[in-house]
Amino acid sequence: MICEFCKKNKVNVNIIKIVNGKTEKINICIDCLKSFTLLPADEFFNDLNNVLKKFLEVDIKISDKGEIDKILGTIDSSESKTCRFCLCDLNTIRSTGQAGCPQCYTEFRNSFIQIIKTIHGSCLHKGKIPLKTGSKEKIQKEINDLEHRLLEEVTVENFEEAAKLRDTIKKLRKKLTAGKKTN
Amino acid sequence: MIENSLFKIKENKKVIQEKDGLNKVILTTRSRIARNLGGYRFNTFNTNEEKKRILDTVKDSFLKSAGSKNYSFYNISRLSKLQRLFLLERHILSHEMLNRLCGKGLFIKFFSPDPDDYISILINEEDHLRIQSTRAGLNIAKTYEDIVKVEKMLEKNLSFSYEKEFGYLTSSPTNIGTALKVSVIAHLPALVLSGKIEDFIKRLIKIKLNIRGLFGEGSDVVGNLFQIANQVSTGKYEKDILDEMNAICYNIIEEEKKAARELKENMPLIVQDSISRAYGMLKYAKMFSFGESLELLSMIELGVETKMLDNIRFFDFYQLISLFGESNIIIGENFKAEPDIDEIDAIRAGIIRKRILKKPAYKE
Repeated sequence: MICEFCKKNKVNVNIIKIVNGKTEKINICIDCLKSFTLLPADEFFNDLNNVLKKFLEVDIKISDKGEIDKILGTIDSSESKTCRFCLCDLNTIRSTGQAGCPQCYTEFRNSFIQIIKTIHGSCLHKGKIPLKTGSKEKIQKEINDLEHRLLEEVTVENFEEAAKLRDTIKKLRKKLTAGKKTN
Repeated sequence: MIENSLFKIKENKKVIQEKDGLNKVILTTRSRIARNLGGYRFNTFNTNEEKKRILDTVKDSFLKSAGSKNYSFYNISRLSKLQRLFLLERHILSHEMLNRLCGKGLFIKFFSPDPDDYISILINEEDHLRIQSTRAGLNIAKTYEDIVKVEKMLEKNLSFSYEKEFGYLTSSPTNIGTALKVSVIAHLPALVLSGKIEDFIKRLIKIKLNIRGLFGEGSDVVGNLFQIANQVSTGKYEKDILDEMNAICYNIIEEEKKAARELKENMPLIVQDSISRAYGMLKYAKMFSFGESLELLSMIELGVETKMLDNIRFFDFYQLISLFGESNIIIGENFKAEPDIDEIDAIRAGIIRKRILKKPAYKE
C-alpha cells in the first residue's frame, strides 16, 4: 500500500483516529508523518484534521451539497418578480434550493429550465403521466413512447418490429388529428 | 408510549443465502417517488395548518382504497423522541421527518418475514408525499413495482402536481420529472482497503450518481458503507433509470469482488492485521460504540469473504446494524430509565458477539 499523501513511499504507519466513537483511518509513510509532527501538539492535531480531510476528500466531497449550491448561485435573482401564487421570489428559491409552490416552475420557467438542465442534463419529462390526464395527451404520450421504441428497434436493426411500430404510430396520429377536427 | 409491533424487534432467522438478490455487496435497495398535491405550497413554505390539511387529505384518500388495510399509520408528532430515533436508525424515517413534526405522518406495511422489507408513505417530508419501497439485497425492479401499486391507490382520489414539460413537480428541482430515485447501500471494504475507492467514486459521480454515507445526505461514511443513488430523475423513462441503476449495481458488485480477489491473492500484511484485530476486538472487548461496531463488522465481513476467518456465524450485516442502534437497544431491552452510554455500548458488544461468534469467548 502506498502513502496517501506523497503517493510514493510504502505505508509504514496506519493511524486510526477515534473521535466520539467514529473511527477514521489514514495510511501514511514515516516521512510524511514526520513532516506533520514537526508542528506543536495543538497544531499537529489541527493539522491532522486537515490531513484527514484531505485523505477523506472523497467523503467530504460526497457529503456536501456544493454542486447544487453552485448551480443555484448562477440564477440571476436581480429580477424583483415574485410568484403570483405563493409570493416567493428567486432570491428565496436560491437560498433554500426549493421552489415555493408548483406554479413557481411556470412563473420562473427560464431559470428553472437552466437549473434542471444543469442537474439532469435535460428538462424534458419522458416518464409516466398522471392517470387522470386527458385522452389527447395520453395519445400524444403513447406516440412519443412508441417513437422512442422505434428508434431503439432501428438501432438494433429489428426492422420487422420497427415497421409494426411505425404503423401503430400512424394510426395513433390519425386518431389524434381526427379528434382535433371533431373538436 | 405507543405499544406496537413496529417497535418490537424481530429478526428473520431464515438462512440469508435464500434471500432474493442477496450478494453481500448491495445490502439493500430502496426506490422512491415524490409527489405533491395540487393547490398547496410546497413544504418548505407552507404553514402548519396547510400541512395538517395535506396530512388529513392523504390519510382519508389512502384509507378509502381497499389495499390500505394492511398498512399502519403513525402521526409522527405523537411518537416519543425515542421511538422517532428508533425509526431513524432503522432508516424508516429520514432526518427531515424528525424536524418540525407538525403534520408529518407515516403509512407502513412490512413484507414479512424480513424486518428490512417494507413499503412506506412519508407524508410531509420534503415533498407532500414520498412513496418508497425497501427490500434486502439488489431488488430494483421489485421495489419499483411496489411503489407503482401504491401510487395507483392514491391517485384514485388525489391529483398530483404535474406539468407536461417538467413532469411531476417537486419541492426541489433535483427530484423533478419522474421524481424517481433508486438508492442502494453498498458495502465496499475491498475497494476502500485497496485504495481504489477514490477513483471508483469519482467515476460514479461522473456518471451522475450521488454517493453518501449510510444515513444519507450529510452523513459520514462509516463501516465502508456507501449510499449510491441516481442524480438524474428527468429526461429519461422510469425503465431506463431502473435498468441503468441495475447495470451500475452489477458493476459495483463485480468491482468489489474483483478488489476482494486481488486483496486475497496479494493481501498486504496491514489488511490481514486489520481483519485479525477486528476479530480479536469483537471476541474479547466489552464495549463498542455504534461507529466502531460498523468498522469492525465491515472487517469481519471482508475476513469471511476472503476466507481469512472461518469461525464466524453467518450473519446479515444490514439486519445486524438495525439491531444495535442506541434507540433500538433501549427499546429492545425495555429500559425504563435512560441507560448509561457505557451500558448501551456493553449491550451492543453482547448483541454482536452472540450473532457472530460460533463459540463464546467467555461466559456472558
